[in-house]
Amino acid sequence: MVEIKLKLKKKPELPLEADIITPDNFVGKSVADIKKLELYYGKEVVKLGDFFDISGKSTDINDTKIIIDGDLSNVKRIGENMSGGEITINGNVGMHVGSQMKGGKVTVNGNADDWAGAMLQGGELEINGDAGHYVGAAYRGFWQGMKNGTIKVKGKVGNETLAWVNGSKPGKRFPKLICGSAGAFLGIHSHGGIIIVEGDCDRCAGADQIRGAIVVKGKVTKILPSYKKIGEVGEIELPNGEKLTGKFIEYSGDHSVDKNHSKIDKKTGEISKSSNGRLYIAA
Amino acid sequence: MVERKIKTVYDVVCPFCGTLCDDLEVDIDIKEDSVIEVRNGCQIGTKKFFSSNPSGHRYLKPRIKANGEHKEVSWDEALDAAADILVKAKRPLLYGFSSTECEAQSKGVELAEILGAILDNTASVCHGPSLLAIQDVGAPLSTLGEYKNRADLVIFWGSNPVHAHPRHLGRYSEFVRGYFRKDGRNDRFIIVVDPRNTHTAQIADLYIQVKPNEDYELINAIRATLRGVELDAKEVSGVSIEKIRELVEMLKLCNFGVIFFGMGLTQTLAHHRNIDAAICLTRELNDHTKFLLEPMRGHYNVTGANQVFTWNTGYAYSIDFSRGYPRYNPGEFSSVDLLIKDEVDSSLIVASDPASNFPAAAVKNLFKHPLISIEPHETPTSAFADVVLPAAFAGIECEGTAYRMDKVPLRLRKVKEAPGECLSDKDILEKLIEKVKEKLGE
Ligand code: SF4
Repeated sequence: MVEIKLKLKKKPELPLEADIITPDNFVGKSVADIKKLELYYGKEVVKLGDFFDISGKSTDINDTKIIIDGDLSNVKRIGENMSGGEITINGNVGMHVGSQMKGGKVTVNGNADDWAGAMLQGGELEINGDAGHYVGAAYRGFWQGMKNGTIKVKGKVGNETLAWVNGSKPGKRFPKLICGSAGAFLGIHSHGGIIIVEGDCDRCAGADQIRGAIVVKGKVTKILPSYKKIGEVGEIELPNGEKLTGKFIEYSGDHSVDKNHSKIDKKTGEISKSSNGRLYIAA
Repeated sequence: MVERKIKTVYDVVCPFCGTLCDDLEVDIDIKEDSVIEVRNGCQIGTKKFFSSNPSGHRYLKPRIKANGEHKEVSWDEALDAAADILVKAKRPLLYGFSSTECEAQSKGVELAEILGAILDNTASVCHGPSLLAIQDVGAPLSTLGEYKNRADLVIFWGSNPVHAHPRHLGRYSEFVRGYFRKDGRNDRFIIVVDPRNTHTAQIADLYIQVKPNEDYELINAIRATLRGVELDAKEVSGVSIEKIRELVEMLKLCNFGVIFFGMGLTQTLAHHRNIDAAICLTRELNDHTKFLLEPMRGHYNVTGANQVFTWNTGYAYSIDFSRGYPRYNPGEFSSVDLLIKDEVDSSLIVASDPASNFPAAAVKNLFKHPLISIEPHETPTSAFADVVLPAAFAGIECEGTAYRMDKVPLRLRKVKEAPGECLSDKDILEKLIEKVKEKLGE
């Protein structure tokens, strides 16, 4: 794998919009060309070389690894829309890291701000610190959020993580999140997301979940009233076929969602009040 | 005895709250050109008319801050200083716009686009969450006349119109007689959901006390009960399951229901998700009867600001023009968040007073950078501004268009002249645009 190294010269005062930093944009370019790539600093157009020391080269996208050092907490959109290769960020990073990426891998060795991996379409995002709100969530007004790929967050994720996540069994898309702990409204409006929380989770997990599975290995602040207890289980089968063992209490829901009406019970002919969403909480 | 010559202006629209009452009568002393009496208006609306009278608080000439003190200057000088600040900024913020007319608002959009600025209105601290929820799940809305003529069940959720929209109850939602509600108040069943026993709650038929910040769970439980699901819980958000069942039966039985929701729902924890759930509840109730909902907008033309921004840019608030085209993301481009993170380097505030209602950390950063204020009278924001451009009161001293809370546009009236050298917000922004263009060499 060939490496391109970027080092932030000085933390920018205003946010720097660095959606240009992706293997797709760097491939086949010399260092001099990469330095000339344009990005937005406030309303000003600046050059990548103004803010970063750059070295290395790349020829093939899947063989490209970008390593970025420095305090990038005010640098936004790194890895947005990337389709292959790797990015490693050594430090905290700003909003929208790896948003809408289609393939490849982004690793953050620090904390990430809001919207990390928003509307992920594929690939892998790994954050070895905490992440902000709206991890993997749908942007405002979109009805289909993260569609595929995996997000791993070692620490905490904020509120509304994986909002409007959209998986599909026939489409073989199984968007998945593994995180240390989670804020409120985890997986709200989920349509087939797989969420595993290693620790605790705040209120309203799985609000308006239509289908999908949320597994919480720690405690939940409060379970929504519209979730119904099914019983204790020793093994969980996730929508993607993976199995998890351990003692969990299984809940079904969200039962407040009108759309679950669609099923008619074959035996009784009545509208089924069941739900395909599942919430598992460690017993 | 001095004889007073009085002129009365009829059918004046009140430029104070989102109810936008259009039946005010204002008496003007012709010689003094001042308001001497306002009829039909409520207390808060009336006060606004009186506050336009000459007083020590009114700005009569533009001002520039020099050595920490404001000094009066000519329009040319002030506009030049303002344009200078805006043109030099890398990330200027244009905020406010909710207490002025639509024509001025559209000039604001134009200026923001030229400057590559961030454009925001007060929805970002009041009903912004409602707009977010509407983008997520749509909204069954109507106009106030429909509610007045048809609603037999009215819910005020997290809103207190007795104090915030005093004439709303008399004109549209509670006491008024409607075409199908001939008996007025007796033909309507009023429900109030609120953590506090407000004055609105005290005149309701049913008051439901919900625990603070737990509205989401309550709506969630109502929705599940409406679906016929037996809940595991005995009590949700301080309300017993029996009471929830009773409430659901009421909702199903009415002919035409409406939920008026206020900032008690949008600005408590869960914010837009409260509205999201309330909208879904309303939608699901339409399987049983007719049900609608309506946000109780505060500033008289905040709805207009959302409308104008939307038809110009596609987005209602929190818009960033830094890349030359509009982008939208509340939380990233909303004023409070930007200011707290200290991401703007100058601001223009139009007809608004963020210093009084933004968090202290945001206000501190607002004052750190150059600040321009377009305001009719002294406010905590304008007192600290580097440039103050004195404005006429829209709807009192100049005409214009405003949108009522239900998105019905009404024409504001001019009842008197603006004092001193005050200009309308629209004229000021127009002149500012010219100056900015000059400086940018366009
Ligand atoms: S209710 Fe609102 S619009 Fe009507 S008079 Fe009072 S303040 Fe003015």
